[in-house]
Amino acid sequence: MTSPATLFAVSVVAGFVGAMSGMGGGVVLVPTLTFLGLDIKHAIALSIVSVIATSSGSASAYVRDRITNLKVGMFLEMFTILGALAGAAITLVSGQRYLLIAFGVVLLASWVSMFVRHREVWRPVAHQDALSRWLELSGSYHDPAIGEEIHYRATRAWLGGPLMFVAGLIAGLLGIGAGALKVLIHDLVMGLPPKVSTTTSNLIIGVTALAGTSVYLAAGLIDPGLTAPVILGIVLGAFLGTRVLVRLSNEAVRRLFLVVLGVLGIEMLVRGVLSP
Amino acid sequence: MEALLGKVLLLGVLASLAMTIAGLVWQAIAPEHGEFERTVAGVNLYQFILESVRALAAGELRPSLMIDLGITIMLLTPYARVLASMVYFAFVDRNPKYTVFTGFVLGVLTYSLFLR
Repeated sequence: MTSPATLFAVSVVAGFVGAMSGMGGGVVLVPTLTFLGLDIKHAIALSIVSVIATSSGSASAYVRDRITNLKVGMFLEMFTILGALAGAAITLVSGQRYLLIAFGVVLLASWVSMFVRHREVWRPVAHQDALSRWLELSGSYHDPAIGEEIHYRATRAWLGGPLMFVAGLIAGLLGIGAGALKVLIHDLVMGLPPKVSTTTSNLIIGVTALAGTSVYLAAGLIDPGLTAPVILGIVLGAFLGTRVLVRLSNEAVRRLFLVVLGVLGIEMLVRGVLSP
Repeated sequence: MEALLGKVLLLGVLASLAMTIAGLVWQAIAPEHGEFERTVAGVNLYQFILESVRALAAGELRPSLMIDLGITIMLLTPYARVLASMVYFAFVDRNPKYTVFTGFVLGVLTYSLFLR
């Protein structure tokens, strides 16, 4: 069994690389823990608890700054928690092999979406559909970069909700935050401004991870002795990684993200396919 | 409201980290306090908390108990955030729609964490 010191060290590195590339610790943590010989279901369970820690820590600052949209968050959380419960339940009954392959596929899919993505300039939603209006999905925040109050409206809640169920399912299934997918849904489907979509996704991730954790806790996969060093390591690593992130150029971050995702994705996929 | 939710999240994370660090350091200094790796076999959060509080009441403060409490606080942090949001939507914003939505999220979390 892996020693607490090793777990701590690995988690610091995972949190650091995760935060620096902007994709969260779970995506790096799960492959590394399985590489150290930990069973993938235990790795996923450990990872999802650490996701609660990093998400709640950073969400506290964003919520206070009033960038996060609480209504959008609460509405979408109804879908993500159900997805996470379903995802975690599927993990419990799945074989190791399928989980490794699923993890590899999700990483490589993120790689592709990152590779082809061209950041478009955000444009306010012109027409808000009736459901989104009924749900009061609009808001405003102060953007210090341009010194203006930005007003926005979200749209297509009827599609965003069910898609967030899928994002929650992936999060619960693989023990990750699935933040990249959530941000993509906020941006492309619901038309939220980038800052609102990132911070609101962060808020949703914590509650979604908690729903997944409840399933793993009930299944006896969460070992407090192993969870403690992982949580501390991830939080410390994420804290350091964020410090470095602000000094790097967007292009450098993107390249790092692509390399890490590509290597881990191929590694997981190959191990899944080759495993008995 | 935002300030309150931000405080709930921050305090939860900080309290949890402090307890966990204290537990781990204590464990490292005094390893005679017992085994490090324990599995919590199939308990829900309610049983987990009840056991921890009972041990605490019995004066059995050990490193592993500190760690358990730290993790419990971590798990309860997003839960407390949802609870605070529901109180806000129900009594401050007086928004029946969002009180129901938040109540649904809280209900599902309560069911999965405490009742199963």
